[in-house]
Amino acid sequence: MSMLRLRARKGRGGLAAGQRRFILGVTIPTVIYGVGLSLLSIVWALALMFFEYSPGRAGGPLLGLGGNNPFIGLAHFRNMIEGVSLEARLFHTSLKNTLIFAFAVLPLNLIVTLPLAALIESVRGKIKNAFRAIYFLPAVTASVGVALMWGHIYHPQEGLLNAVIRALGGPPIFWLDDPRLKFLGVSVAMWAVIVAYLWQDYGYNMVIFVAALQGIPQEFKEAAMIDGANAWQVFRHVTVPLLRPTLLFVCVMTMLSSFQVFDVIQVMTNGQPRNQTRVLVLDIYLNAFRYQRMGWAAAASFVLLLVVVIVTVAQMRLLRTEWEY
Amino acid sequence: MATAIPGTTASLDRETGARQSPTRFRARCGLGRFLVYFMLILGLSMTLMPFLWMIFSSLKTPMEMARVPPTFFPEEPTLDNYKTILNDPLLPLLRFYGNSTFVAFSNVFTNLFTSSLLGYLFAKYEFRGKQALFSFFLLTMMIPSQVTMIPGYLILVKLHLVNTLWGLVLTSFLNAFGIFMMRQFIETIPNELLDAARIDGASEWQIYIRVVVPQLGPALATLGTLIFMGNWNSYLWPMVVITEKERRTLPIILTWYSNQHGARPHLQMTATVMVVVPILIVYFFFQRWIVQGITMTGFK
Repeated sequence: MSMLRLRARKGRGGLAAGQRRFILGVTIPTVIYGVGLSLLSIVWALALMFFEYSPGRAGGPLLGLGGNNPFIGLAHFRNMIEGVSLEARLFHTSLKNTLIFAFAVLPLNLIVTLPLAALIESVRGKIKNAFRAIYFLPAVTASVGVALMWGHIYHPQEGLLNAVIRALGGPPIFWLDDPRLKFLGVSVAMWAVIVAYLWQDYGYNMVIFVAALQGIPQEFKEAAMIDGANAWQVFRHVTVPLLRPTLLFVCVMTMLSSFQVFDVIQVMTNGQPRNQTRVLVLDIYLNAFRYQRMGWAAAASFVLLLVVVIVTVAQMRLLRTEWEY
Repeated sequence: MATAIPGTTASLDRETGARQSPTRFRARCGLGRFLVYFMLILGLSMTLMPFLWMIFSSLKTPMEMARVPPTFFPEEPTLDNYKTILNDPLLPLLRFYGNSTFVAFSNVFTNLFTSSLLGYLFAKYEFRGKQALFSFFLLTMMIPSQVTMIPGYLILVKLHLVNTLWGLVLTSFLNAFGIFMMRQFIETIPNELLDAARIDGASEWQIYIRVVVPQLGPALATLGTLIFMGNWNSYLWPMVVITEKERRTLPIILTWYSNQHGARPHLQMTATVMVVVPILIVYFFFQRWIVQGITMTGFK
């Protein structure tokens, strides 16, 4: 705090006393409350993963660590890497499913949102806004509602999807319950939650792309067309390169949020059938709050953080080099 | 993809029209327009279908619901399901609307206040440690909330705030994203305006309240709507914090109800309508702010 005071006195050739008081009056509570809370959370989260911690047990005096919640060093991580115990195998499954989910969602999302944004951008005025507003509806719908709506669509007897399949003469499919059903090596239940998630999520990227497309000067496209480029070439060689910064942003954000998927999956399948849709956050949630194994859950959430950081940095590298090129 | 471009083709043709035969231009343009609208309306029906299926299901009788194959439009639309839910003594919906409203509005108010105040501080004042503090907030924005969820819960346990609605408010005063967004806005307010107020003898707090805040109308509306929606729809964190049924928020009570009535999808869908539709109505009023907010920030 004394550092703050010092600089305030020196800065800008002597601030008025009132300003200094204002700065201190705002920063001190902020630092105590905000930084205190965040730092405590982060440090606590980092500490927990080295302990066999359960909130029900009486532990040591400092944050309940130690005592009946013994320090076990890197044992959780060793357990994870060995992958023998039940919780480690479930963790592996969850990690794998999360990666499948995120790497399926990103391209599918772009395939839907980019053309859709281009379509919306190409119509004019009021109709454009109306389309954009309606297309954004799923994104403001509570994810729990989305999960229940789609669960009802996938329902084996009463569902809309099987009604269509029956009308076409096919047998009803147990979309969310049949562990043997696969498509491209990934369980059909996983595809089903991916579709529900895409439906809920695409509005964000669509809106961002529409705004980015509006920002591209019309003259660029017209110049290319005068030079004889066709519509596809204009899109490929003029629009897409100019969209790169937006694309990078959208890719990073979409990946980040799909690594953290929870609501839709917990409500629709709760990780079933046979853990085929069990994802990391669900695994963390169940361990921490159902089985009270918070040390293990903290270790798992640290892995989630690592994965998120690695994928984000990789994406930035990948897209940035291409952009400069 | 080619369908995306007719708009641009038309504007090109207008300028270079002399080189193209008018009939060819019109045909291409007409077909392109048609395809654009065809695709957009196709997408629109895919977007609206789950909503319609939910609403139609909520209007069906249990008998009709159980029919295989199911009907799409309800044959004898009825509001009985809504009456059942509203009269269910185990489901005091008003209380749950109240809980959700309390949490959402409290967080909107506190976050708008802290975001605008800290945004103002970061935009208009120089002090030592400013950059460090600001970077710290940016850093906390990057950490997935699931990482700090477990200690966050343990902190609430220590503070005896578990199982209270205050637990969802008191530790969420600061919103790193909001601070960041407000700073961007406040930087555009001219310093002369603030200095003029200072010369007139206004204190720093008066400047914040009388000069800065009134300039922030649209930004506050945007941020407020985003925070409201985020809190209203939030699921995991309230589920962790609140375990007692009466104190739960709407999304959690919705899953509870639908688990209770697993074999009665007509009631499940009706409850979903009652949770989802109010927010969609709010959305239509604030649509402009939300879309603006997303485009500006990409915030979810």
